[in-house]
Amino acid sequence: MNLLRKAIFLGSLFLLAIPGFSQQKFTISGKVTDAENGETLIAATVYAPLQSEGANTNEYGFYSLTLPGGDSVRLEFSYVGFQNVVRTVFLDKNITLDVEMGSGIQLQEVVVKANSYREQIQSTEMSVENISMREVKAVPVLLGESDIIKTIQLKPGIPSGAEGTTGLYVRGGGSDQNLIVLDEALVYNANHLFGFFSTFNSDAVKDVKLYKGGFPAQYGGRLSSVIDVKLKEGNNKEFAGQGGLGLIASRLTLEGPIQKGKSSFIVSGRRTYFDLITAQINKANAGKDNYNPIPDYYFYDLNAKLNFELGPKDKLFLSGYFGRDVFGFDGGFFNFDFYWGNATGTARWNHQFGPKLFSNTTFTFSDYKYNIANKISDFSFELGSNIQDANLKTDFYFAPTNKHTVRFGGSATYHQFTVGRLKAGSKDGVVAFEAGQDFDGLEMGVYVSDEWEPSERLALNAGLRLSGFQNGDAFYTGLEPRLAGVYNVTPLFSVKASYARMYQYLHLVSNSGVSLPTDVWYPSTGHVKPQRSDQVAAGVSFAVGDWFMVTNEYYYKWLDNQLDFIDGAELFANSDLEGEFAIGKGYAYGLEVQLEKTTGRLTGWIGYTLARIRRGEFQPLRSDAVFGEGDAYFSPRYDRTHDISVVAMYEISRRWQVSATWVYGSGDLYWLPPGRFSFQDVPGAQFQALVPVYENRNNYRLIPYHRLDLGVTCRFFPKWGESDLTINVINAYDRRNAFFIYLEPEFQEVNTGGSTIQIPQRIAARQVSLFPILPSITYNFKF
Amino acid sequence: MKFLKLLIVFAGGLIFLTSCNLEKEIDLKLPEYEGQLIVECYLEPGKPFNLLLTESTGFFEPFSTDVDQFLNQILVNDAQSVEIEHGGQTYTLQQGIFFDFETKKLYNYQNPELVPADYDQDFKLRITTAKGKTITAQTRILPVVPIDSVVVKWNDSDTLAFVLTYLTDDPAQDDYYRRMIHQSSLDSTALQDFATSDRLVENGVLLFGTAPDFAVGDTIINTIFHIDRAYYEFFGSVQNAIIAGTSPFGSPGKLIGNVEGDAGAVGIFTGLSYDRVVTIIQK
Repeated sequence: MNLLRKAIFLGSLFLLAIPGFSQQKFTISGKVTDAENGETLIAATVYAPLQSEGANTNEYGFYSLTLPGGDSVRLEFSYVGFQNVVRTVFLDKNITLDVEMGSGIQLQEVVVKANSYREQIQSTEMSVENISMREVKAVPVLLGESDIIKTIQLKPGIPSGAEGTTGLYVRGGGSDQNLIVLDEALVYNANHLFGFFSTFNSDAVKDVKLYKGGFPAQYGGRLSSVIDVKLKEGNNKEFAGQGGLGLIASRLTLEGPIQKGKSSFIVSGRRTYFDLITAQINKANAGKDNYNPIPDYYFYDLNAKLNFELGPKDKLFLSGYFGRDVFGFDGGFFNFDFYWGNATGTARWNHQFGPKLFSNTTFTFSDYKYNIANKISDFSFELGSNIQDANLKTDFYFAPTNKHTVRFGGSATYHQFTVGRLKAGSKDGVVAFEAGQDFDGLEMGVYVSDEWEPSERLALNAGLRLSGFQNGDAFYTGLEPRLAGVYNVTPLFSVKASYARMYQYLHLVSNSGVSLPTDVWYPSTGHVKPQRSDQVAAGVSFAVGDWFMVTNEYYYKWLDNQLDFIDGAELFANSDLEGEFAIGKGYAYGLEVQLEKTTGRLTGWIGYTLARIRRGEFQPLRSDAVFGEGDAYFSPRYDRTHDISVVAMYEISRRWQVSATWVYGSGDLYWLPPGRFSFQDVPGAQFQALVPVYENRNNYRLIPYHRLDLGVTCRFFPKWGESDLTINVINAYDRRNAFFIYLEPEFQEVNTGGSTIQIPQRIAARQVSLFPILPSITYNFKF
Repeated sequence: MKFLKLLIVFAGGLIFLTSCNLEKEIDLKLPEYEGQLIVECYLEPGKPFNLLLTESTGFFEPFSTDVDQFLNQILVNDAQSVEIEHGGQTYTLQQGIFFDFETKKLYNYQNPELVPADYDQDFKLRITTAKGKTITAQTRILPVVPIDSVVVKWNDSDTLAFVLTYLTDDPAQDDYYRRMIHQSSLDSTALQDFATSDRLVENGVLLFGTAPDFAVGDTIINTIFHIDRAYYEFFGSVQNAIIAGTSPFGSPGKLIGNVEGDAGAVGIFTGLSYDRVVTIIQK
């Protein structure tokens, strides 16, 4: 209760800091939308030049600007890539002004140049990456499948996991420490095909924002990043569609008005066709001796959203996502079915209470499950895990003056976990195996924050979040202060700093270097304490000439109650899973530099990260268990010292566009055995002449990773719309990057005492690469 | 269909490209390594006290090409003393080369007295190394858990059989088992060899199965070892180390043994209890 009182007290302080309204002032509020399709524009700028006052639209396209009344007011609306819109209104009362902006033709003369960086430079937000769908679609990607997560991996401070996969290790955090929300619903496993593709269909996505630090108070529940993905609302002007045919998948998105200008829909689907190809191969080889059929595999995603304007002040959104990976094998004697995937649902209500107060109330449902079932003769086996969330949250956006933007709200999430549920046995019931655990958990959070501009040069965003989690008798609370500030030395040069504390009440149980669908989520319990991080960051942002912006940030992050696993951990179908856990600490620090150019024919960025990550002081929860490293600190596998990414997109003409990305990173760390011994074993077992002896973790650094990917897009303009042919070449100079290393002994058979034993003659270390030079072609269309 | 054919051509091209030279031999420079003493001692009632003391070495150290040199490289024959104490009696193991022609196993310390079938008292091991350091361990021999039955079943086509092995597990205690199945001879490589616990067993019946690989006349040797937790963990850590060396999905880890002392040794001192059933496949 003490924590709650503190939170209320501090929250009150923020509100008391807000001065009273002036009687002579009136508020202009409304929403800013894209004239072409009615989509709301996020972070568009509204500026009154005579009064030198301005505001930005929030994530729902809503803005509120309070100005002295009794005169005409000139308002300039600007948004990167759109033509400026100017409106003049006579201000003698509060007015609602909705504005539509047209993208027009993006010529150099039209787009905002250095001014487009002004907002970023002067914003209190730091450690933030805005990912545009234009970038996502232009960046060359594996097998031509545009991928939001892989574009995010090209940003500084975000090393990827294993090659080609969508793992994110943001500023030293683990791959489970990313809060990924799709239309405000949590996505637990954002991967398809063991991490090679993400679950987001970029045709259906409107906006992606990634926070690496300086987290706003409305976000909680994960330590290292927030990836906020917003789906399109659907074109409320006219029926439209887009899609693509690729090497491995096709996709189609349809959208249009339900009631023109008032309500709209969007549906989007994607499906792979590996299974069609493998079925043909199996058919061609059917009946051949020793031919083992290739199992069926495919994945699909479905997105849908409905959007209704209930009245001038109310808007209702219903959206959903359903995705599955399906893997099956029917071998007569041996049958195998394996599926996994997410389902999310969101019902969202936006209400404008008045010109200064806006609310967003959301109910979300989220479900991630995997299920493996197989049958051998009279025996069956079924293994699965599941996490289901029902979440209710409400957020208020209050702009009492132009100097203050207050946000407050709360959320409650009811979690249901089924962890490693195994059922196996014979048809007659004589043999039965069972394992698994069920948990319920309630996660709560309330927050308040104020973005305050005490002077023209200084802006602060102070927030406080109080979070809590209950699982049976275990109850935890966490007070999470957030503070970010910016000092504008000049309008185009700022110094920024932030601090954020985060709590994470759920833990991912994964003991492999790659993302597996069988990784399970485990709640905090009496023994497994919530994870905690504290991150400080400081940096500068400035424009260089009219075209470039430089961001340079330094960060240090402390991590507490980090989860690892004891030596020899048994994570499979274990009813006492936390007996396999070891809990420790960690820290990470580094610097990030980014030079970016977002306007003009040539766009892109160059990013560099210098980083260090260490983890240690791990203690097994089970007293008789061993954590091999003891108290010592070690670097995790993804501790990448240097990381460089160069991304360039060049618009040669309206028809032709080329793009290139080049990445370089220090090699991942690998745990290799410095020693070996010979193991005789018990009678009946074979003599093992070579057993590796592992000592310190991650004791070998693989060769540096670098790769050049190229893309070229040719656009066509048929009468019915627009189409393009995109050719990507991954790993253009055919670099053999290390995916993994294995050690292969070469044996000689020796007869001894009437039996033969194998004596090793030499050991070969072999490096395996995943991708050679890999071209792909995709046809996209839009109407 | 044209598009599908095009895709298949592309996929074929991709498979061709991805199969091109994606593997190469590399030079690895591993950290310095200091050898550790490795102890293996399995007490089997009715058999002599045997112990194997070896030493680990740097991973890429050169290998000897003949058996004698290889053995000289790994065997540690200079321990000052090797003793096993049980029931007030101390058994001193003498150094030598002892080869068991029945099991094809070799030991470098032995006491010819037979291990008593005592399941109630601990056996204690004490080794003093050439440098005066000590290695200690203790264990207790577990009773045999008998195989209840071996059932031969035929698959749908009736040409190949699979074998089911049943045993009764005591639900009142945590038990660990090692299951081996050989075809024809114990000298052959086991078709299955793994350790498991009884933590998943619901109604006291433990079942091990095979694939339908056997024809009429095949000889199948089923062995179920009743092992203690220490050996279960040691064996698991050895298996994990072997797999992790050859697979990216393995979980490397340190060896988990039950020997202690200031010699820094690792290894296993455990009892050996097993039941074995030989079955000739018949219709």
